[in-house]
Amino acid sequence: MTVRVQQDRPLRKPGVWLRQSDNENIVFDPETETVHLLNATAMAIWVLCDGETTPDEMIDAICDLSGLPHDVVAEDVRRILLRFVEADILSWGG
Amino acid sequence: MADDRGRVRILIADEQSLFREAVRIILSSEDELDVIGEARDGLQAVADAERLAPDVALLDADLPNCDGIRATRLIVERVPSCRVIVLSSREDERVLIAAMEAGASGYLPKQVPLVDLIGATRAVDRGEALVPPRMLATLLHRLIQRRRERDEALKLLAGLTRREREVLALLAKGEDNDGIAQELVISPETARTHVQNVLGKLGVHTRLEAAAFVTQNGILEDLVGVGP
Repeated sequence: MTVRVQQDRPLRKPGVWLRQSDNENIVFDPETETVHLLNATAMAIWVLCDGETTPDEMIDAICDLSGLPHDVVAEDVRRILLRFVEADILSWGG
Repeated sequence: MADDRGRVRILIADEQSLFREAVRIILSSEDELDVIGEARDGLQAVADAERLAPDVALLDADLPNCDGIRATRLIVERVPSCRVIVLSSREDERVLIAAMEAGASGYLPKQVPLVDLIGATRAVDRGEALVPPRMLATLLHRLIQRRRERDEALKLLAGLTRREREVLALLAKGEDNDGIAQELVISPETARTHVQNVLGKLGVHTRLEAAAFVTQNGILEDLVGVGP
């Protein structure tokens, strides 16, 4: 499976909700009754999947904040988005 | 970064002596962490940072006489090697964004256990950014928004001639028509015409708005030396 990370804008699947607490971030898909635990970075990317933000914008922002090399961040973002796709909690805007 | 002996030199700034004392005791319990200064207000924090050149400064956001955000901006400007963590009395997105935009390397609400400051101090000294996980998405949203705004601003700049960019740069520095005319060796009438053209192309109504457009988008350096 490939993840298009250039121009498309990932969008959270409707109906899926996020619960944040001090210790964990839980995404629950009521359609499949599936729970996903996210780390802080994955949770931030999940929130950025608003149908308006491109993966490139996510990557640039994380680079700005962390100072990490672009390639490293791009790989992380690509991997996390791929996991969202595989978990069927993401759709893609144009 | 830590010195040659691997020691991290720390400045603490907080109005409350009890808090400063508690932080100093916690940090000093670690072999490689040295608290080298304590300040009770923002001005003293900036002065101490310039004098002591710490590796890390822990600043309360609500310092008297120059708040922690302004103090952060000044310290980052004057002591570039110093990394700043802003401490806030509660999780506040506005403080977080202001702190990071001022150049802070980290933001922590004071609700975190004091012992967490040890790891936080080490992390920013290593060059990491430190943001509460729950606030990370908010900050990334803001960074993306800022980048979009800057891209839009640069698109508008592309519509200006080289001369109009020079005029805008001078407007941003507070020059009036006479000052612009003198600087560019043109007549005040020509300067006025350029100013009107600049305002029209940027879609703003006043010189102040034009100057704010430049400063808010951080594009002063993009103004001169590029384009037709």
